[in-house]
Amino acid sequence: MSHPGGPPIDPSDDDGAAGAATLDEAALRKLHELDPDGRRSVVNRVLTAFESSLVRWLGQLEGHPDPIDAATLGYIAHTLKSSAGSVGAVDLAQACADIERRLRSGQAVDLPREVQRLTALGGAALAAIRAMLRH
Amino acid sequence: MLPSIAFVDPDLSHQPEVLLVDDDEVSLLLTALALRERGFTLVEASSGEQALTILRDWTPDIIVLDALMPGLDGFATCTALRQLPGFEHVPVLMLTGLDDDASIARAYEAGASDFYVKATQWSLLAGRLQYLLRASRTRIELERSKSKLARAQDLARMGSFDWRRQGGGMLLSSEALRVLGCGPQDPVSLRGLLRMVPQEERGVLLRLLHDALRQNSVLATDVPIVLFDGRQRVIHVEAEPEFNDHGQYAGYTGILQDVTERRQAEDKIRQLANFDALTGLPNRRQLLWRAERALEQARRMQHQFALLLIDLDRFKIINDTLGHGAGDELLVEVGRRLRACVRHSDQVMDSSLELVGTRSHRSLEAVGRLGGDEFVALLPEVVDDQDAARVAQRVLDALREPIFVSGQECFVTASVGVAIYPRDGTSVVDLLRNSDVAMYSVKAQGKNSAAIYSPLLAGRGREKLEIETALHKAIERDELVLHYQPKVDVRAARMVGAEALMRWQRGGRLVPPGDFIPLAEETGLIVPLSEWALREAAKQARSWQQAFGFADSIAVNLPSRLFERSDLVEHIHQCVTSCGVPHRVIQLEITEDNLMKELQNVIPSLHRLNEIGVEISIDDFGTGYSSLAYLTTLPISELKIDRSFVRDLGITPQSSAVVTAIIALARSLGLRVVAEGVETLRQMEVLHRAGCGLMQGFLFSRGVPADELQRWLEQTVLPRKAPWIGAASAIELDPGEVAALAAGGRRFR
Repeated sequence: MSHPGGPPIDPSDDDGAAGAATLDEAALRKLHELDPDGRRSVVNRVLTAFESSLVRWLGQLEGHPDPIDAATLGYIAHTLKSSAGSVGAVDLAQACADIERRLRSGQAVDLPREVQRLTALGGAALAAIRAMLRH
Repeated sequence: MLPSIAFVDPDLSHQPEVLLVDDDEVSLLLTALALRERGFTLVEASSGEQALTILRDWTPDIIVLDALMPGLDGFATCTALRQLPGFEHVPVLMLTGLDDDASIARAYEAGASDFYVKATQWSLLAGRLQYLLRASRTRIELERSKSKLARAQDLARMGSFDWRRQGGGMLLSSEALRVLGCGPQDPVSLRGLLRMVPQEERGVLLRLLHDALRQNSVLATDVPIVLFDGRQRVIHVEAEPEFNDHGQYAGYTGILQDVTERRQAEDKIRQLANFDALTGLPNRRQLLWRAERALEQARRMQHQFALLLIDLDRFKIINDTLGHGAGDELLVEVGRRLRACVRHSDQVMDSSLELVGTRSHRSLEAVGRLGGDEFVALLPEVVDDQDAARVAQRVLDALREPIFVSGQECFVTASVGVAIYPRDGTSVVDLLRNSDVAMYSVKAQGKNSAAIYSPLLAGRGREKLEIETALHKAIERDELVLHYQPKVDVRAARMVGAEALMRWQRGGRLVPPGDFIPLAEETGLIVPLSEWALREAAKQARSWQQAFGFADSIAVNLPSRLFERSDLVEHIHQCVTSCGVPHRVIQLEITEDNLMKELQNVIPSLHRLNEIGVEISIDDFGTGYSSLAYLTTLPISELKIDRSFVRDLGITPQSSAVVTAIIALARSLGLRVVAEGVETLRQMEVLHRAGCGLMQGFLFSRGVPADELQRWLEQTVLPRKAPWIGAASAIELDPGEVAALAAGGRRFR
């Protein structure tokens, strides 16, 4: 997991998912800007929404009975990409973007490996979100 | 953070309403929060299906659609909503991923207005939405404006066109096609349009088009065309050149408008403004305009031009006797004959003269109607007086043949006055006035002729004008006086009344009645003069009543037009009551001619006057045309035998016969009879023997001032000193002589 201003992590690197679970501060600051005095609990609502969305998608990835098809993976990556970016789960967002780009460009993609990568990064992001929500 | 108002468009009357469609709840939540924060009202949908359901009952200002969604994705949703009525032009912003070119292309294909790459830069998104909203509003306004323009063009029978020089050809709007009587699908080329222009007009139009194209100038012209269905229309074309980005001339753009009705109305207005509705000849306005142009040309080219004023003689009689309808018929025929006397041109009526060339003043030549029975012939160039005189003679000759109106032949003559520029005037006003002077000189000399103006004629006219002006002031300056001539009963040798005779003391001399009474009648001044005479007569009666017990009446001559006034009785009533004398002191004399001419109008007054005791006397009896039937019924008290019969008494047997007949008539009708103009004892004797004892004339007294009349009474009549008194009493009426008089009166020759 990167930190604000830190070097980008190679999305293909499995070890990247094992880093400390933090959320990008810049993204979080942007969320705060939507509700500066916190009266509307915007950050909390967005993080909660992302948590439930992520749980749902991770469940789909992990619990998929058959080998996942490219279209389903592409759709999950597309959806997670922007919401992960919005809450500052930068590693997850970049991995999603990478998968989406490669699938759309027709490159050969090792689908089970990518599922594994997304699951790992998603888990880390989920932990970070939960930590944040607890905090 | 930016304040939300920064994104609210001041042109919008409400917060913009957005339908936001995204299956990702995080994106949906974040985008909604961000847009609400920036002043938008949001309705959220998490799928395309839900969005379409919402749109059944609600129309947002803008729709934001995520492109990739499960089920109905953004593209399919956009395609579907564009099919919904009313959603053809609602702006749709498609949210796509970065560098997803395929999605961008698909978004446009599906009918999206624009795309936006998903990002958390909310201000950019809000700005984009505002831009789309503004563009949408502009488009709606443009649509409305276009539709209004089309409606306005339709109403104004107008349409637009573009003509491209190379390739494009002629492009006509549907409104323009309608103007040309074509359907929206009809192919119309420039050549086809030119073929609609009548052949004789096409050359002029082509020249105009070539000139405009050569000079790249604005084109504005009216073109007559014949539509495919044969209708003739006038199309106004107005076009201006268009240039491309390099400043090169590319073609023309413009409008065409059906102005047929306007042109017809303008032509009608021009016709009405410039031509006499009855005869179709140029009217006063047009004549004056032509005369001014002719004068300018004559001045420039140093030649002479002539104005002939043509006035019909005795037209009023025709109008009065045959009626105005017949009078109009006659004027139309006269107009037709007169226009054949000159090289009449109907064409010139505006400022187009300069275009026609140096001899164009010839086209000004015309006969026009000034008004009533007055016509003018305008000869824009004459060499000498003879030129004009020849046309004048042609005019007189043209009227020589009788004109048939109301089924009968009428003989009409005219008096023509000629004035020639520059000798007889250097302005149109002067020339008209002087032709008028010349025309009146013809009238004065017996009509049916022509005269060329000379300053001598004007001298007479000026004198007349001076008299008229002075006469206006005569009453207030107390210059008018009444003289009185007694009526006498020769047998009783006494005065039985007097006739008031008007005199005008002007600058120390007495103007004879013949010099001012006709003028007063002509100008209408006779009315105030007569009213003044009535007042004076009543005053004099009162004065004599006090001086010597005058109990008879003073006769005042009145023109028929005064009898037509409804206030005559009231006026006489005022005159006599203010002087404290009875109504019968005023007697009114009306000439036989006047009486018969206006008989129907005068009868009511005669009866009313008679009722209040004012007696009516018929003056100059025997000279006009009396209806004996009327004489028996009219409330008349007295007949006055005209002086012409009295003068010839004893000279011509006819006079004696007439006098005897009048006396017999009067006697049988129970009327008093008075002989006028008695100058000799012989005349007195004859009249007396014939049974007329009341007389008036120089034999007794001429018309004299009031105080002189009183002196005459006191010094001549009462002392019985006058020679006629003795002679009268010596006459014994011999019935045999009366019979002889009636038979011819030869013995008195």
